Amino acid sequence: MDYPIWSSGLGGGVLMAWVAITHVIVSHFAIGGGLLIVVTETLAVKRADYEMRELARRASLVLILVSTVFGAISGVGIWVVAGLISPGAISALIHNYVWGWAIEWVFFVLEIVAALVYYTTWDKISKGAHLLVGWLYFIGAYMSLVVINGIVAFMLTPGRWLETHAFWDGFFNPTYWPSLVLRTGIVILMAVAFMLWSAYKASPNRRPDLVRYLGWWFFGGALLSYAGYRWWEAVLPDTVTALFLGEAPTLAGLAATRSFTLWSLAIALAVCVLALLLAPRFARGVTAILLMATAFGFFGGYERLREGTRKPFLIHSHLFSNGLLVSQIDEINKVGISAHSGWVALGDPAPEALGARIFAAECSSCHTLDGYQSIREVLPTVADMELVVTPSTMGADVLAYETECSRCHAEIEHAEMVEMLPTLEEIREDPDFVRELNLGMITMSIAGLKEMGSEIVGFDRTTPFDMRTLHRSYMPPFVGTDEEAEALAIYLAALDNSQSATSGGAR
Amino acid sequence: MNPDLIPALDAAGLPGPPWLFHFLLVFTFFLHLIFMNLTLGGTLMAFVANLRGGGRPGDADSVLAKRLMGVNTYAISLAITTGVAPLLFVQVLYQQYFYSGTILLGWIWFAMLVLLMIGYYAAYLHKKFRGGWLGVSALTFFAIAMTHVAVHLIHVQPAKWPQFNISAMSVLGDPTYWPRLLHFVLAAITFAALVAAWWAVRRARAGVDVELNTKIAASSWRWALWATVLQLVDGFVLTAVLPTEVLLGVMRGGLATLGPLTLSIILAIGLLVMLAKASNPVDHPGLVSGTLAALTLTVAVMTITRHQVRVLYLEPATSRFSATIVPQWGNFILFAVLLVIALATVFWMVRRVLTSPAEGDEAA
Repeated sequence: MDYPIWSSGLGGGVLMAWVAITHVIVSHFAIGGGLLIVVTETLAVKRADYEMRELARRASLVLILVSTVFGAISGVGIWVVAGLISPGAISALIHNYVWGWAIEWVFFVLEIVAALVYYTTWDKISKGAHLLVGWLYFIGAYMSLVVINGIVAFMLTPGRWLETHAFWDGFFNPTYWPSLVLRTGIVILMAVAFMLWSAYKASPNRRPDLVRYLGWWFFGGALLSYAGYRWWEAVLPDTVTALFLGEAPTLAGLAATRSFTLWSLAIALAVCVLALLLAPRFARGVTAILLMATAFGFFGGYERLREGTRKPFLIHSHLFSNGLLVSQIDEINKVGISAHSGWVALGDPAPEALGARIFAAECSSCHTLDGYQSIREVLPTVADMELVVTPSTMGADVLAYETECSRCHAEIEHAEMVEMLPTLEEIREDPDFVRELNLGMITMSIAGLKEMGSEIVGFDRTTPFDMRTLHRSYMPPFVGTDEEAEALAIYLAALDNSQSATSGGAR
Repeated sequence: MNPDLIPALDAAGLPGPPWLFHFLLVFTFFLHLIFMNLTLGGTLMAFVANLRGGGRPGDADSVLAKRLMGVNTYAISLAITTGVAPLLFVQVLYQQYFYSGTILLGWIWFAMLVLLMIGYYAAYLHKKFRGGWLGVSALTFFAIAMTHVAVHLIHVQPAKWPQFNISAMSVLGDPTYWPRLLHFVLAAITFAALVAAWWAVRRARAGVDVELNTKIAASSWRWALWATVLQLVDGFVLTAVLPTEVLLGVMRGGLATLGPLTLSIILAIGLLVMLAKASNPVDHPGLVSGTLAALTLTVAVMTITRHQVRVLYLEPATSRFSATIVPQWGNFILFAVLLVIALATVFWMVRRVLTSPAEGDEAA
């Protein structure tokens, strides 16, 4: 939080999602493609099967065009985006796991050189030498997954690392092996999703065979993915599973994501059985598109779940997503965020301007002003208040109450809330009064977030935190002095640029 | 300088002694430069050669352009692959400055990724469709070079961060910006030209398309000669416009800093002499190989000097911090052992491939 602040306008999460989603799809394809292509070529050599050889050959062009550059650039892109939106967080990860990443790079070098050699030596070297290159490619690619999986899984379940801070305790964390099994299944799904297009180019009489052949791979990959997924869920701590499992999950959105994830896999499996295994003759482009969509849906859903359950941490129970270390909370509360970060201190000292910089430092890694996770959207405004107190036969008043008030005041009914608020006439006569009221509510919320920090500091830092006990378990605490909290509240309250709802200016 | 603008050191500490990361950063950056030179210099040269040759089959310039872009099929991928390691190690050693520099550039830094993809796929499309794709590729790689020089100069000058915070583009007005950019571009062209000359000389001496390869070798050789002449001038300009404290730091550094700098100047002058010595490189294969080897050595030595200049730029800032060292020797040894095994495997694989030529039904 002491770095310069970059505002992309899109929201850091959106930008990271773009880069990370494309990268994981391509990189998993690069691994699974390596396996399928070399096994296919091995079978082709054994059976002297020209069509299988051509399938491997065509797929290797996709592999080279997509993986060696797009995969590599998007992988670097994750570092680039993380460095822009959350530098403290990526720095902490790199300082703990630099040797892990260095080892991954070693395998990456082997993977890329082998990929280039493999593609360019078709028709030029002996079958044995070519197969050797293909297998070396797969070994390099898969080993890079074996390494990076440890770092990715560590972020959600650091395990004993919280106590020892030892590299291998974090690496072989509780979700390491389940994640590896799950991702091994996913790499096969991704590979088939891409390779089907190459299989469609086979001669009409061999096409069904090749489609069915890929179908068996997909079937196996789906079962492996399912087994890995259930194992992953089973080893997650209760504090994490409670967020998306059970009768009343803490985060309903994540529970929905889980359903989406598993349904995607079920549909993918059904399409595979029907279209690839039972009736491969009828498999067409739309089949491949459907399999791609459902396989990507499953994979994306799982990644969303993994990221969502980690919220608000980058390294669970150690480092928040905005770069705040748990160990820094007390210190920053004492000296202030302006003393901690020269970039927050730099500029106009007036409360509203200071608040804007505090927002950028503490909140902007997740929130934008008006885009993704819009902060303006969740803040109370004069127009909201007008809607809440204006009787509506269509239920607009209750709806406004539910979206704007009940998240913080669940214990107060709509009718009671109307009693407590000024009347519509009073609001129109003196909107500044409502603005003051809103400022008070925002101030209280920030105070609650600061108080949450004090509770977190009291947690046992050697075990995963149970965030369910906290008021806003999915947010990092506010850190800073009371004056800074006030400056942030003034800035946020001033974001209300709404006009009277009844005059048509409501957002 | 506003010292408070520099973020704190990472609380996790350095997972090894600083000298180890300095060495790894310099070594892996040198590897990256080899392929980056081929990519940037090769694409710029190919663009000009393609314009001159007009894509006519059998024309020396057209064949030169085609060859350079053929090399780039591998060079671009390998430039990216080898670029990952220095990017990792710079984040370990200089995270406070590097991330700050990239954030101050913001979208421009992010755009580098997009440019890289455009550059690569444009190079591929050029091979398929010709047209203006080569120009697109050359332009994007040049823009990436501009971005890297910008982020370098911003990250090493924390005292100017408030100015860059107002306008990152003001880095273009830094006295060292353009000489520094030119320094890298000229080195890249020289390297790519010498590789092209070396290859053409080998082909000509093997009796393959002797006339054509002799022309290509002579043309590439001239590229290398003129790029080196300009490089010498630019090198002195760059040295002259370096901040006084940095220049004094180099002078006061004794053998450690003056040694590599002097050696690289001697090597550059030696390169010029070797390049001026022959007008038809096909007659001097030893000289061509020697010149390419000398240039590779120059790049290695200049990589050291470049790093030392960074250290001197940052010295007023870094001297305020003292990193905790939490070595992970076991993990480093594992990395080193795996690196050796992987490189040996790559070597063995390439050797096996070269010794297993096959045709027809025998081929894969």
